[in-house]
Amino acid sequence: MLSDWGHVGFLLLLALVFPVGGIASSWMLGLLKIRPQAPDPIKEDIFECGVETEGTAWVQFNFRYYYYALLFVIFDVEAVFLYPWAVSLDEASVTGFIAVVTFIVILTIGLAYAWRKKALEWL
Amino acid sequence: MDSVNRFGPELILLAMAAVIILADIGWALAGTGAERMRRPALGALALTGTAASIIWSALLIAFDEQGEAFSGMIRVDDFALFFNFLFAGTAAIVILASIDFLRRNRFVAEYYALILASTAGMMLLASTIDLIAIFVALELTGISLYILVAFMKDGRSSEAGLKYLLLGAISSAVALYGMAYLFGITGSTSLDEIGLVVSEANGETRSALVLAMVFLIAGFGFKMAIVPFQMWVPDVYEGAPTPVTAFLSVGSKAAGFAVVMRIFLTALGDGSISSDWATVFAILAAISMSLGNITALVQGNIKRMLGYSSIAQAGTFLIGLAVVAAADPQLLLGTSAVLFFLGTYAFTNLGAFIAVIAISSKIGSDQIADYAGVAKRSPLLALGLTICLLSLTGIPPTAGFIAKVYVFNAAVQADLVWLAIVGVLNSVVAAYYYLRVVLNMYTAEPASEESIQPGYYLGLAMVVAVVGLLVIGIFPSPLLEASEAAARVFG
Repeated sequence: MLSDWGHVGFLLLLALVFPVGGIASSWMLGLLKIRPQAPDPIKEDIFECGVETEGTAWVQFNFRYYYYALLFVIFDVEAVFLYPWAVSLDEASVTGFIAVVTFIVILTIGLAYAWRKKALEWL
Repeated sequence: MDSVNRFGPELILLAMAAVIILADIGWALAGTGAERMRRPALGALALTGTAASIIWSALLIAFDEQGEAFSGMIRVDDFALFFNFLFAGTAAIVILASIDFLRRNRFVAEYYALILASTAGMMLLASTIDLIAIFVALELTGISLYILVAFMKDGRSSEAGLKYLLLGAISSAVALYGMAYLFGITGSTSLDEIGLVVSEANGETRSALVLAMVFLIAGFGFKMAIVPFQMWVPDVYEGAPTPVTAFLSVGSKAAGFAVVMRIFLTALGDGSISSDWATVFAILAAISMSLGNITALVQGNIKRMLGYSSIAQAGTFLIGLAVVAAADPQLLLGTSAVLFFLGTYAFTNLGAFIAVIAISSKIGSDQIADYAGVAKRSPLLALGLTICLLSLTGIPPTAGFIAKVYVFNAAVQADLVWLAIVGVLNSVVAAYYYLRVVLNMYTAEPASEESIQPGYYLGLAMVVAVVGLLVIGIFPSPLLEASEAAARVFG
């Protein structure tokens, strides 16, 4: 039991040592004047995959994205439920089939409602 | 098939909620020609749903179709059926009272569908015997109600909805934490199996059980609206649309008591631990009654006043729960006292709120001061509200009198005389603010002579509530027998 979780603990330790060690060693080398100190606006810029950054991260999103987020979560969860059912179709038998069909019917009513309320249109 | 059959009363409500949503989509496709029929038809569908649910419950009794459903998730017994009738009846009266209020609202279908879904959740709360199912039912009830509270979409209603959502989410989390403790200690989510393990608990597990018990009381205390989990009550009751407030104060509260009785009497009913929670409930009862009544004294808004009064009433119900475990032979007396009180309270509080809907929508104010001289403008409404307030005070021949006598008698029988004395003293305090409204309606001069006429449906709902509470007050034995039969489930 302990040795199983020990692996996780070891990984946690490694995950801490890696960034903290990098920052600390850079700071130490700077303190000992081994690391050159040549600041540059491009160097100090935020690194974003080599693309030049534009503006701040605090931007306003379009409010309508929340419909999509909501619908996405619902159908994501549907997929999560359908997968184990599809895999164990043999054991789940007719009862399982009826349960899943009921679930999909309920979701379909929800989708119909969202469509009727124009949640699927980008106005 | 047995499962589906026993689940019928809830199933028909949920199915009708889906039908209402689909019918609304159909109306939109049909174009504007049929628009005139939309509101009445949707209201009729919702009422049909509650009626069908009541009939199905009655058929379950008639054909003796009781037992477990869905492999031990749900148990349909006299206790569950008692609450099926209570919740479906409450929903029917609330729907009747909402028809006029919804005249100017676009989202009629959503409103009815949410009321029905919430009602189904409440019924499930009374019948589930598994922690996971209980949590699902709790959320089904809660989430529907969060939306309903914010339904008016104006500032006050949105604020109330947000407060209710945030505090409700926290209390659900706390209740879930308590359930997790119960599961961790006993290794089962079934209330029966938890009860078995708890009855064999030794000293070490007992302290963990007390922790679980405290979390559960805190989580469900929010639904029951008892002190110290009552912070949300006045603001939410004031901001929510009044029919929803009525539904909250009766349905949601009764659902909280139903699930607490189910969990505490089944899973934690063993003598060694029940004496602990009985003491907690006795203290919370005394504090809820006193704080609710004293704060209600200074309220100027009638919805806030009824909110604080419902906290005090919840304190009185808690006496019944405190009695349950104080002495083992009293188990039946305490539980049936709570059930009987919940039954009478449903009629009484619904009646009071319906009168408030009718009067406030005409005078355009919820202030008690503006109720001056209502008796001259609408004698029947004033009489109805007076009867409901007398019943809340506990004055014969109303149902509230019998309920209070029943509860206080149970407390005295269980050697909790001090609690009965606190309860009686509180009734005296309560009489002051209930009767102040009555006095104001009958003796003060009205601001205008224009008469107040409630709509047809609102009047019908009012008549049902007032007649119901008078009938129970004069012939209490049918409800008394029903609540005793329901209490015997835990005997």
